[in-house]
Amino acid sequence: MSSPTVSVDAVIKRFAGHTAVNRLSLEVSPGGIFGLLGPNGAGKSTTIRLIMGILEPDEGTISLFGSREGSRKLSARIGYLPEERGLYKKMKVLDHLIFLGETKGISRSDARKRAHAWLERLGLSDWALKKVEDLSKGMQQKVQFAGALLHDPELVILDEPFSGLDPVNAQGMKDIVVELAAAGRTVLFSTHVMEQAERMCDRIAIIARGEKVVSGTVAQVKADFGGRHVALGFTHDKQRAEKILADRSLVASMDDYGASAELQMAEGADPEQLLALLVREGVGLRRFEIVEPSLNAIFIAKVGATAATAVANPGVAA
Amino acid sequence: MNKILAVVRREFVERVRTRAFLISTIMLPVFIVLMTVLPALMMSGSEHTSRIAVVDGSTGGLGAKVSRALLGEKLTDAPDAQARYSVQVFPASGGQVADVRDSLIAKTGFSRRGHADAWNGVLVLTDESLQDGKVPYYGDDVGATQSMSKIQRTLSQVLATVRLGKSGVDPGVVVHAMAPADLQTTKVSDGKLTGQSGEESFAVAYFMGFILYLSILIYGQQTMTSVIEEKTSRIMEVLASSLTPFQMLLGKVLGVGSAGLAQMAIWGGSVFVVGSQRAHLASLFGMSSDAMQGFPVPTMAPDLLVVFLLYFMLGFLLYGALYAAIGAMCNTIQETQQYAVFITIVIMIGFFAVFSLIKDPTGDLGRTMSFIPFFAPFVMPVRWSMTSVPPMELALSLGLMVATLLACVWLAGRIYRTGILMYGKKPSWKEVLRWIRA
Repeated sequence: MSSPTVSVDAVIKRFAGHTAVNRLSLEVSPGGIFGLLGPNGAGKSTTIRLIMGILEPDEGTISLFGSREGSRKLSARIGYLPEERGLYKKMKVLDHLIFLGETKGISRSDARKRAHAWLERLGLSDWALKKVEDLSKGMQQKVQFAGALLHDPELVILDEPFSGLDPVNAQGMKDIVVELAAAGRTVLFSTHVMEQAERMCDRIAIIARGEKVVSGTVAQVKADFGGRHVALGFTHDKQRAEKILADRSLVASMDDYGASAELQMAEGADPEQLLALLVREGVGLRRFEIVEPSLNAIFIAKVGATAATAVANPGVAA
Repeated sequence: MNKILAVVRREFVERVRTRAFLISTIMLPVFIVLMTVLPALMMSGSEHTSRIAVVDGSTGGLGAKVSRALLGEKLTDAPDAQARYSVQVFPASGGQVADVRDSLIAKTGFSRRGHADAWNGVLVLTDESLQDGKVPYYGDDVGATQSMSKIQRTLSQVLATVRLGKSGVDPGVVVHAMAPADLQTTKVSDGKLTGQSGEESFAVAYFMGFILYLSILIYGQQTMTSVIEEKTSRIMEVLASSLTPFQMLLGKVLGVGSAGLAQMAIWGGSVFVVGSQRAHLASLFGMSSDAMQGFPVPTMAPDLLVVFLLYFMLGFLLYGALYAAIGAMCNTIQETQQYAVFITIVIMIGFFAVFSLIKDPTGDLGRTMSFIPFFAPFVMPVRWSMTSVPPMELALSLGLMVATLLACVWLAGRIYRTGILMYGKKPSWKEVLRWIRA
């Protein structure tokens, strides 16, 4: 196998007063979708900015495509959608895309052709000659998305690509990301929405407080997490289950969603025993399924409640 | 290189497309034309051929001579210019003078449209006119001082010629003797000729200083504002991922600069056109060309133009880079003011130095300031226009400017690199120093 597309090696980044990224190592191999997961303030955006060469690491090294030249030299091969979306408000949509293409080193005429193609694909052809500020926020985000992909990069880095999109548009973006991966491109994206990552990613890394908590393929992460997990769906008389579910010899931990719950069985406990107890108590069950742990459950178990408290981060947004 | 071009083009096109740019670009030439035409228009009243009736009550054919002199006057200096007067002589002997005069006055002072054959004025010549020089004139334009002094000048010449002729002086000698003096001024400083008329050198020096002062202030601030805009719109991060700070900085300064230069060129061009075409312009508005001579149009020698443009661009880039750096340090326009004021002070010093330089172009002050890169763009073109600057001095001054420019772009690039992604609180001077050293 060739060298990893992105390699982050023992990188440390400090900002006045705190460490945003602490001895973080990541490897993104070519092809597929890599998810960088973590709670708010975990250092996802800082990590991505370090990879993009927008920030310089205090310690450690970053290489892209096996080269230490830095992303700016390699920018023709990389597409980037920053977390902070921004476009020139007064520019016309088409002109803007052409300009973004040019900054990536493709010729003006080529950029124009590609911009038209992308606008067509995103259903924005009618807006090509409108000013950016006349577009809705969702449309602006699509334009920026197109701008990041205009030069057909080998590596696409997307920072929270689906935030702020309605379900229809989010679905559209997702389709494009999946297509990119299918075409052999490498996609690295960050998110704090676990369900999304679980469905899309081949590989993930969960980070919290600037440190890597777990990484690997999704299946691997789940297998390593171990334990037996049960998904419950209630119809009625849920309160009668409370005592049983609070039994620590039976249930190690529970993630309660009200009408449903996901729980991890205690060491040596038998799910069938639990089912029998619930039925005897007369709890109305819609669902009782032995499942793989969800990334969300793993995330919460690994990161814990404390990580949800974002570290104060003055100066630069994390 | 292509990336810088892309940035330059974007800055230029987006700037030129704005309504503000269009309006300011068009309005100034219109304003210049108005400023040129209006005062002249107001002063001159009706600058068209005047119909003058000459009542000749003299015995020596004075009417014919006056008529000939008046008919020789043209409205403008152009060879095909219209005659200033159309004249008709009405001979009248002794007692008839008053009657003829009154009948002509009855046909004087009507608006043109109503009475095509009405008179604008009636001139009464008698033998006494030769003696005491008194020539009565009745007209609708007696309030127009310029017109009156013109008639007076012509009449004085005729009367003097006739008087001298009576004393036996050759008419050729008279014409020669009557030619007016033409004062030709040339500026001298420190015992050296500058080869320029006084008014001209002042106008050019002032004009150059003012243009530079204005354009640096306006476009420098625009550069700064545009950096702030990029920061607030958060587009900076996308740019920073594909462009180096140096590319962004240079592209921006050059782009805003070329938009500025384009505007200046349009303005400068319109001043030139108005200046060279003022005769046409005058006839367009129905005025004499003389009426417009009051408007000074600076002319520039080619070498001066080259020196000026050279310093203009270097100065522009120098200050543009500094303004961009300030923009990178701040988050809002308000914040920038506290830093920008330092630059404004430096520019003001440079600009006001022009005034003392105009008085004393060869002094030590001027020489010293032309070696300080921040002042040289103001000082050097003025010195060049007013004295002969040794080529070595010019070369040294230009060299220092280029070196400082590169240093400033580098410095600004360092600040830019860190500053463009800094949101939130404003950095202290200490932090800025750290950015530069980082």
